[in-house]
Amino acid sequence: MDWLFYIIGPILLLGIMLGFVTYAILFERKVIGWIQNRPGPNQVGPWGVFQTVADIFKLLTKEDIVPERADQTLFKIAPIITFVPAFLVLAVIPFTDRIRFADLAVGLLYYMAISSITTMGILVGSWSGNNKYALLGGMRSAAQMISYEIPLVMSVIGVVMSAHTLNLTKIVAAQNEVWFIFPQLIGFVVFLIASIAELNRTPFDLPEAESELVAGYHVEYTGFRFAFFMLTEYAYIFAMASLTTILFLGGWQAPFGWTFLPPLIWFILKFAVIVFLLFWLRGTLPRLRTDQLMEFAWKVLLPLALFNIFLTAVLKEVPWIQTFYR
Amino acid sequence: MLRTEEMLLNVGPQHPSTHGVLRIVVKIDGEVIREATPVIGYLHRGTEKLAEDLNYTQIIPYTDRMDYVSAMSNNYVLVHAVETMLKLEIPERAEYLRVITLELNRIASHLVWMGTYLLDIGALSPFLYAFQDREKILDLFNELCGARLTYNYMRVGGVKWDAPNGWLQKVEQFITMMEKRMKDYHQLITGNEIFIQRTRGVGVYSQEMAIQYALSGANLRVTGLQRDLRKEHPYSIYDRFQFDVPVGRHGDLYDKYLCRMNEVEESLKIVGQALASFPEKGRVLGKVPRVLRVPEGECYVSIESPRGELGCYLVSKGKDKPWRLKFRRPSFCNLQILPVLLRGENMANLVAILGGIDIVLGEVDC
Amino acid sequence: MFGLVKGLGLTLKNMVKPRVTYKYPHEPLEMPNRFRGIQYFIPELCIVCNQCVRICPTDCITLTGKKSDDPNVKGKVIDTYEINFEICILCDLCTEVCPTEAVVMTNHYELATYSRDDLYKDMEWLSQNNTLVRKENTLHPLPKKTGAKKA
Repeated sequence: MDWLFYIIGPILLLGIMLGFVTYAILFERKVIGWIQNRPGPNQVGPWGVFQTVADIFKLLTKEDIVPERADQTLFKIAPIITFVPAFLVLAVIPFTDRIRFADLAVGLLYYMAISSITTMGILVGSWSGNNKYALLGGMRSAAQMISYEIPLVMSVIGVVMSAHTLNLTKIVAAQNEVWFIFPQLIGFVVFLIASIAELNRTPFDLPEAESELVAGYHVEYTGFRFAFFMLTEYAYIFAMASLTTILFLGGWQAPFGWTFLPPLIWFILKFAVIVFLLFWLRGTLPRLRTDQLMEFAWKVLLPLALFNIFLTAVLKEVPWIQTFYR
Repeated sequence: MLRTEEMLLNVGPQHPSTHGVLRIVVKIDGEVIREATPVIGYLHRGTEKLAEDLNYTQIIPYTDRMDYVSAMSNNYVLVHAVETMLKLEIPERAEYLRVITLELNRIASHLVWMGTYLLDIGALSPFLYAFQDREKILDLFNELCGARLTYNYMRVGGVKWDAPNGWLQKVEQFITMMEKRMKDYHQLITGNEIFIQRTRGVGVYSQEMAIQYALSGANLRVTGLQRDLRKEHPYSIYDRFQFDVPVGRHGDLYDKYLCRMNEVEESLKIVGQALASFPEKGRVLGKVPRVLRVPEGECYVSIESPRGELGCYLVSKGKDKPWRLKFRRPSFCNLQILPVLLRGENMANLVAILGGIDIVLGEVDC
Repeated sequence: MFGLVKGLGLTLKNMVKPRVTYKYPHEPLEMPNRFRGIQYFIPELCIVCNQCVRICPTDCITLTGKKSDDPNVKGKVIDTYEINFEICILCDLCTEVCPTEAVVMTNHYELATYSRDDLYKDMEWLSQNNTLVRKENTLHPLPKKTGAKKA
């Protein structure tokens, strides 16, 4: 029966992810609407539940425009390069101890490595469209993704040191007693900020800064190719929120031994909190500037992450406290 | 060393943060702007030329469409010029209504600026909050003069309508509410570190430079010069009210923000005082001749619009139509400094600096 | 960091505040009495004095008068009266000068159509636009006086 799981599973996961993306977009618009004392989308279907469906339908039926002066091949291939890694990374995410696809020993590294391929897609897409705004957006994106990858990886080293493994399932198992958010608070904060930057979301949404670059790297994309870029963005929210839950919030583990809810529900709850946080930040904060963004990554986040590694290493040797860092 | 090439980028006329139809041709090196040339005229309607064929009452609705964010001050500057030429006496009650509407309009205008400015910088919500409050002002105006933006409220010799029943009480309620809302804005924006980072020390110019470029309004006061035409040569009845003129110290964008927010608070004070001493009875339109024939001559009057010194130069040959009408539009004059400020800045600062000047394209192109 | 947290607190607080959105196309917006909407024209009151045509800043009003069929009535009666809403800016000046309040404002504001021709409203249409008529019209004391003289 295992082979059946490996064939149907990913298709199911793709369906779940698409469902998530559909409703995450609706939820985001609702949350931002509520923040701004508006009801949010409420015209298509009751409570606006079919809004995103209608939007996607509109995108799919739109004319597919490829600019004449664009690099045809690269322009068409870029959305695929962008999207595929976003789905690939989901393979190593353990949603519960039963529902997972690949139990890689280096799951965490795999996630980090694969997710950086997306930058290539964005860069290719922005360059091939032969649009100046897109080019600027693509350059910003490349610089940002590379800069923030470093503090992102550095911040999880503390977790890896405590859990003694790169396997995501075992990392969750290591949080049996205490979630890593408490002993690794600095690591968590750095990870959260860096992950928001990786996701290109406010306050780090410079690559698609609407007020500056019109729409950033996907200016020239229309119809379903544009939909692919949007899909990627929200697929990464799905992946990144899952990863944050796993690394710092104890994955599917119930807090205080409240096991009356099944593990999957706990996972979804924690996951939802992270997703809400992202939307909430978007509703509140302004955007940083490119140079400030770089400064922040290299001068603040990286030293903090390094300090966190150092702190973890020291505290691991201090009696009594070391139990938290075991 | 790699050879890098400069790139020519057209920002606008269709760009989310040019506040209308301004086009800026920028030469950029990477993200650094080497040269910026604003191109204007996309909204030019020839108001000044049209005015030469219209009588004075007919021009008033045209002025509504210049600075459409604060149409009251446009209305006022025209009627003020005509009244100065005619040496008319304005009824007390009309003067009070004028001051109240002018100041409410200033608040509305600054709220629009604040909201769109934060939108330029990337924050979504302040825009909606500011528009909620502005909506209340617009509703008040709607009730007073029957329109939300194009008021056509002032008339030569007074104002068109008296305040309807209960309107003054509503203004009073609005002031109380707005004072509370200002605290919210300070909580949401003033202390926000990202906002401070984006605006502190950006777009700085000295006082000399500001004077050389004939800047006015908050753009000038931000350099520390206390020049407000309401204090300098008080028009209408501004000499009766107590208010401060907020000034900045550093001449940067953050100071501009603080300056405008403080101006809102000062305007609230003025409206409060005007309501307290509002005359009980009286006409709202003075005795004016049936056909307005302005005596031969010329005059220049200027008022402090939300954007700066709004002037009106009127030349009359004794007809019922102006021989020449010229508006000194603060947005247009303030925009001159843009190329200088943009040189050497990066793309992200472009929108921040442009937004900081606070232009309304209807007024720039006139 | 503290400023950011305060801002987040404010947005969170706003999430539970009442919604302010108007349900506009579903529920019509209530406009105050003085609202300047599409004009209502009363042919019986019109004395064909041409003042509205002369004051109109955009020249959007055209009218013609004719001799009355009744020989006892002095002066002209209105024959055609058209307002072109493509260029009308609803500035309220025509109602302000009208000495007999033959043209008055209403609270109607829906002018969207599929064709430009639909915006050209004739006397028949304007005289049927007789709901939500504004109560106070010629507040301008001067035209009222002249109106009294003429009428």
